[in-house]
Amino acid sequence: MFESLQDKGHATGVHLRGARKSFGALEVIKGVDMDIGRGEFAVFVGPSGCGKSTLLRMIAGLEDTSDGSIAIGERDVTHEDPADRGVAMVFQSYALYPHLSVYENMAFSLRLAKRPKAEVDAKVREAAGILQLADHLEKKPAQLSGGQRQRVAIGRAIVRAPEVFLFDEPLSNLDAELRVQMRLELARLHKALGATMIYVTHDQVEAMTLADRIFVLQGGLVQQQGAPLDLYDDPSNRFVAGFIGSPSMNFLAATVESRNGSGIRARPVGQPDTAFDISLAAPPDAGTRVTLGIRPEHLVIRGDGLRVTVDVAEELGGVSYQHGTLEGGEPVIFQQTGVRHGMSGTVQTVAPEEGRIFVFDEGGGRIR
Amino acid sequence: MSLAKRRRREMRAAFLMIAPFVSVFALFFLYPTLKVVALSFTDAPLIGEGNWVGLANYAKLLGDRLFYTSITNNLYFVALTVVPTTVIALLIALSVSRLKGRMQALVLTLFFLPYVLPVSVVTMIWAWMFDFQFGILQPLIATITGKPVPVFKNPHWVMPMIAVVTIWWTNGFNVLLLIAGLRNIPADLYEAAALDGATPWQRFWRITWPLLWPITALVLTLQLILQLKLFDQVYLLSKGGPFNQSYVVLMQMYREAFQLNHGGYASAIAMVLFLFIVVLSVLQFQLLRIRGMRK
Repeated sequence: MFESLQDKGHATGVHLRGARKSFGALEVIKGVDMDIGRGEFAVFVGPSGCGKSTLLRMIAGLEDTSDGSIAIGERDVTHEDPADRGVAMVFQSYALYPHLSVYENMAFSLRLAKRPKAEVDAKVREAAGILQLADHLEKKPAQLSGGQRQRVAIGRAIVRAPEVFLFDEPLSNLDAELRVQMRLELARLHKALGATMIYVTHDQVEAMTLADRIFVLQGGLVQQQGAPLDLYDDPSNRFVAGFIGSPSMNFLAATVESRNGSGIRARPVGQPDTAFDISLAAPPDAGTRVTLGIRPEHLVIRGDGLRVTVDVAEELGGVSYQHGTLEGGEPVIFQQTGVRHGMSGTVQTVAPEEGRIFVFDEGGGRIR
Repeated sequence: MSLAKRRRREMRAAFLMIAPFVSVFALFFLYPTLKVVALSFTDAPLIGEGNWVGLANYAKLLGDRLFYTSITNNLYFVALTVVPTTVIALLIALSVSRLKGRMQALVLTLFFLPYVLPVSVVTMIWAWMFDFQFGILQPLIATITGKPVPVFKNPHWVMPMIAVVTIWWTNGFNVLLLIAGLRNIPADLYEAAALDGATPWQRFWRITWPLLWPITALVLTLQLILQLKLFDQVYLLSKGGPFNQSYVVLMQMYREAFQLNHGGYASAIAMVLFLFIVVLSVLQFQLLRIRGMRK
């Protein structure tokens, strides 16, 4: 299937060196270095305004790069036109040409490049086959559903057989069910084409499920990069720890009560009865103020620990998320599996599983 | 409250709300229009009753050479204005839409300014600019033709110059419509096209032009109707002369009605012009629409 569109070894990596972007006095990308490998599915994730879309548009050539360089494969493309970079982009709004049929939309770039008619036809029909659009080729975009429009936008990208695919929040205009379905299709497409893909999203679930490698962006800087589970298991700062994982990690202010060679004993603020022993390679001094991070799925009900007054229980069937507060008012979420209703309004004592506490310093950096 | 009662109330409210418009429309538009239709079948003077003459006025019009001259001049004027003004407006709109923020607002205001002037002021300005003795445009004309030209008294110059004045006066509105149309084209289509390898020229012809076409067709149709109704500028600048070279249908109607007191005949002229405009504009709009659909 789809031999002609499959990567024939021309997928390439993308390399950024000190890339910066300013709009007037406002610097939105503050020096980004990254290497995206050949055939890799890279995801830029971060809250809105973190610069992820701008960074993608810089790679596409839709925004100038103020400083630094962008290379696609061996080629420096920092100052090249978008069309000459060998990239194709799928826009959040799809950006389909409303006056052209599905067929013409997909054939647009090949026709501009004056490719032979037979080749254009073969490529468009092949892409339409992959994307289940064969029955809709004569329709106008307005006659298609959201999911179909999204497929046309992807089809328009794949007929060009680009070296790099760029996706700018491509699923955010779809409803939840379709989003899950398209996510799977994108994962299959990546496997089938073997092309390098860069994908921007604010949705950490999309990032976790699609990515070979995630780049977490915040404030115009890459906070951390790595495989999805590495970011989950070993976040390098408090921002990444809070951003990856759903529901978010619980954070508790705490004080280091004592330290020994292999760790600390830390007591959460306002919890005179509870302290946790945490083993660390570089333990901070006693008296240091730290933040403890514990994921909701790592809090278990035990005889001793944090007393949480549960006020809302989100029951999802397989799991439930218990939202509550500590005596001092700090919010805490913990996850339960196999437990049915009845926790709302009760007081539960929870404690983290062994070795599942992250420690952050006051600047948000991780203490290991 | 019962359903029927509520419906009746709604109807009453609806009628009350449209009543002011309907009464003004009926009194000042519908009644005179029907009166003109009736008048065109009589030999009535401007004021007072006349005798029923059937289609005699229309028959007379068919043999009236001045009427054919007027129609020809009308069509000549349409050719001089409709397409040129649309092209000029499109060029201006494309340039203005490249400007940003305040600069764009300022330039747009400058182009729109003539449109707010009353026609008498417009013709006064241009009559002075083209004045044979003192007009500031005469040196320019002299460099082209070798001598100054009294443009509104010259049979070759009169219609083109009235067209220039008209375009200058009314173009701002077309620019406004086209800019609104351009703003409606999403920017990411241009970005997608840039990534697809379209040159600026291709971006215009393959994206801007087809997506702007509904607005362009509207501008062309509005212009056709407006320019067929030409009267004020001719009346104020050349009075239809010289040698009837700027004589137009409304001019003839005005003369028959208000100078020669031929109410019936003038009504027949008005009716023919009315039908002419309806047929032409409907025809044009349909043709343009079909062209748009084929794209």
